[in-house]
Amino acid sequence: MKKMNWKLAICTLGLSLAFLISCQKADQKSPSKSKPFEEEAATGLFPYKRLSTYGFFTGEMKNLEPNQEVILYKPASSLFTDYALKSRFVFIPAGQKAKIDGSDLDLPKGSVLIKNFYYPTDFRKPEGERRIIETRLLINEEMGWVAYPYVWNEEQTDAVLKVVGAETEVSFIDYSGKDQIINYIVPNKNQCKSCHNKSEQMAPIGVKIQHLNNELDYGTVKKNQLEYLSELGKLEGFEGESAHPAMINYEDQTQSLEDRAMAYLDINCSHCHSAEGPASTSGLFLTYDQKEAMKLGINKTPVAAGKGSGSFKFDIVPGQADQSILTHRMNSTEVGVAMPELGRSTVHREGVELIRQWINSMEPEK
Amino acid sequence: MRKLLRYFFAFLPIAGFFSCGTTTTEQTFDSTTLTRASQEEVEKVIEDFIMAEDSSTIEIPAGFFELNTQLILDNKSHIKIKGAGMDQTVLSFRNLKSGGEGVKIVGNNISVEDLSIEDAPGDGIKAQHTDGITFRRINVTWTNGDKSKNGTYAIYPVQCKNVVIDECIASHSKDAGIYVGQSENIVVKNSLAFGNVAGIEIENSDNAEVFGNTARDNSGGILVFNLPGLPKSDGKGTKIYDNDIIDNNHENFATPLGEGPNGNTVTMIPPGSGVVLLAAKEVEIYNNRILRNKTAGVSIASYQITGFPAEAPNWSPYTVGVFVHDNQYEKETLNMPDLTRELGQLVSVHNAYGPGLTQDIIYDGIWDKSISETIETNPMKICIQEKGIENLYFTRFYLMDGEENIESFKDYQLFQNCTVTVRTDSSGLVGL
Repeated sequence: MKKMNWKLAICTLGLSLAFLISCQKADQKSPSKSKPFEEEAATGLFPYKRLSTYGFFTGEMKNLEPNQEVILYKPASSLFTDYALKSRFVFIPAGQKAKIDGSDLDLPKGSVLIKNFYYPTDFRKPEGERRIIETRLLINEEMGWVAYPYVWNEEQTDAVLKVVGAETEVSFIDYSGKDQIINYIVPNKNQCKSCHNKSEQMAPIGVKIQHLNNELDYGTVKKNQLEYLSELGKLEGFEGESAHPAMINYEDQTQSLEDRAMAYLDINCSHCHSAEGPASTSGLFLTYDQKEAMKLGINKTPVAAGKGSGSFKFDIVPGQADQSILTHRMNSTEVGVAMPELGRSTVHREGVELIRQWINSMEPEK
Repeated sequence: MRKLLRYFFAFLPIAGFFSCGTTTTEQTFDSTTLTRASQEEVEKVIEDFIMAEDSSTIEIPAGFFELNTQLILDNKSHIKIKGAGMDQTVLSFRNLKSGGEGVKIVGNNISVEDLSIEDAPGDGIKAQHTDGITFRRINVTWTNGDKSKNGTYAIYPVQCKNVVIDECIASHSKDAGIYVGQSENIVVKNSLAFGNVAGIEIENSDNAEVFGNTARDNSGGILVFNLPGLPKSDGKGTKIYDNDIIDNNHENFATPLGEGPNGNTVTMIPPGSGVVLLAAKEVEIYNNRILRNKTAGVSIASYQITGFPAEAPNWSPYTVGVFVHDNQYEKETLNMPDLTRELGQLVSVHNAYGPGLTQDIIYDGIWDKSISETIETNPMKICIQEKGIENLYFTRFYLMDGEENIESFKDYQLFQNCTVTVRTDSSGLVGL
């Protein structure tokens, strides 16, 4: 037994050393701290460890300059994610086409949706210096859509697959010139489905006909997005703008308050709060076309909201935004209260204001 | 009545003193002595959930795992998630920064065994859209000294089929410890729920058996509710038997102390409630020990009593078809009924036996007038056959004529000569 002691001592030392190192690692705020990447071959077997292996971008990675097969798109309204700006691309395999299926865009197998999340150093100069935080891929595999989150390194030369998610501090100057610091959370792979969920199948959110049936500036040309895809030979079934549904941008002040509010709720809430979404348990359904007062939350009591209800009785009290659970939860950053549950650690002030105005404009009950 | 009320409220300050709510932060074991898992070990658990393949076991070794992201099992079949024992493997979600629940499960034939879950900001463990979900020997709790920081549900299957909750412990939830919602084919057995606002709650669910459990020191012990406006619009068929439903006198901390109820129905539950039925359909309650619940042992109520809008498609606000028999009762003698919630005040002031007396069984007496002009015909089929009922305190209220005209009656005879056959079938759950 005595002979074993030195081995034990070394083991213990080694272990505590390992522990020390692991502790230090745990303390790192930015998990994307650069270490040299290993070369990776594009085998066609997804997912790749490195974003660059897919070859979506030409030139310097951080410029996010798409190659020819990768097409820019932008939904009419954007989901709020802690004020992050996003650039989105779709890759459709050569020789294949997307199809229009009612309000869904039916993308062929092998298609990839590429969504980059970034912060300009100064929001007043959105085209200036920026930091890309993460790129989320949705790949339409044989068995359906699968999500893969990639976290960018500090040098902005590449991003690596991080299925367990990550956390990083982001600082920027906001539109009004104020310094802001955000604790940005990259969701883990399975959290993606907390939003991208239609009847428990992974599903895209922004790639719907009504979100794409509008004009986009491609740099060289301005064109309706569905028309542009059709001209590239990547889409069939487009019969002109007026033949398909279209949604407004909630930021468009020329539109009616109600339409803007509904567009906001649709893009920010309805992926969960619909009959096919995970929040169907609540009976609160916030789709663009919701007409039933109770399903919209008007004088509806909560079900499982817990502390999310605050001191309030109903989701929406017409005419009284400050008595409504909807605005209360949008206005909170406390986990367990805040809605949406994922993707934000700050309050979307402009969004809260829009919904407040909308609720306050409703006719109060007698 | 009004005179009585005035008389009663003169005594409120003293009464308030005697009916003070109790509170507890009791823990089943001390998790702080467990070895902390390293960052690598924690990440391995997260990856195991993400990478899980059908028909496999996710083993979580002994240790205290501090997670800052959710554990999600997504659409998998035949998975066993197994810890080293509820006092050995602890998943702590104290540092969770986003997401609604600590652990989330979707799939078929999933079991979760032998572990503990602590301090999730929302719900402890949630299973949704899962056919075949078993929770066995898991302990879900909150360790905050200040219970207002606790999460909503501890064990939370919702929109599931074939649910088994066996030998579990659920404590200190701000809503229900064990909550089964919008599900069918359910067994909750041999479990312990304490220190919650609601111990065990079956909501908008069909075919449930709740037996062999202990629900103690909650505000309400065992609840059967049907709430309006949900995708599963109404539920029926619950048996509650062989349970110990005792000392459920915990203060209702679903809202901060001093704040009244909000829109969550559970915030209205008066501390001191043993069994509460709200808009429930076909419920049998028998062979339970219903002891020392200071407000009422069994409360039978319709949804109208909440004062909330009581109309929704395919849903009825009435409690219909109840059979209460062969239970053992013991009244709380040291404490008076609750005064913090309207339902507690109703019992305190208006019961048929005298102000401040704990009741064994209360019935709100709200009935559907389209079925019968009077309640004499027992239109809602509320059947009560308790031995020695003449010595129990049974109050039927009359509440359908406004607050100024509340009446109460001791007429248990109206409800004594009938039975209700409640059919439940748990045979399909034997193998789970």
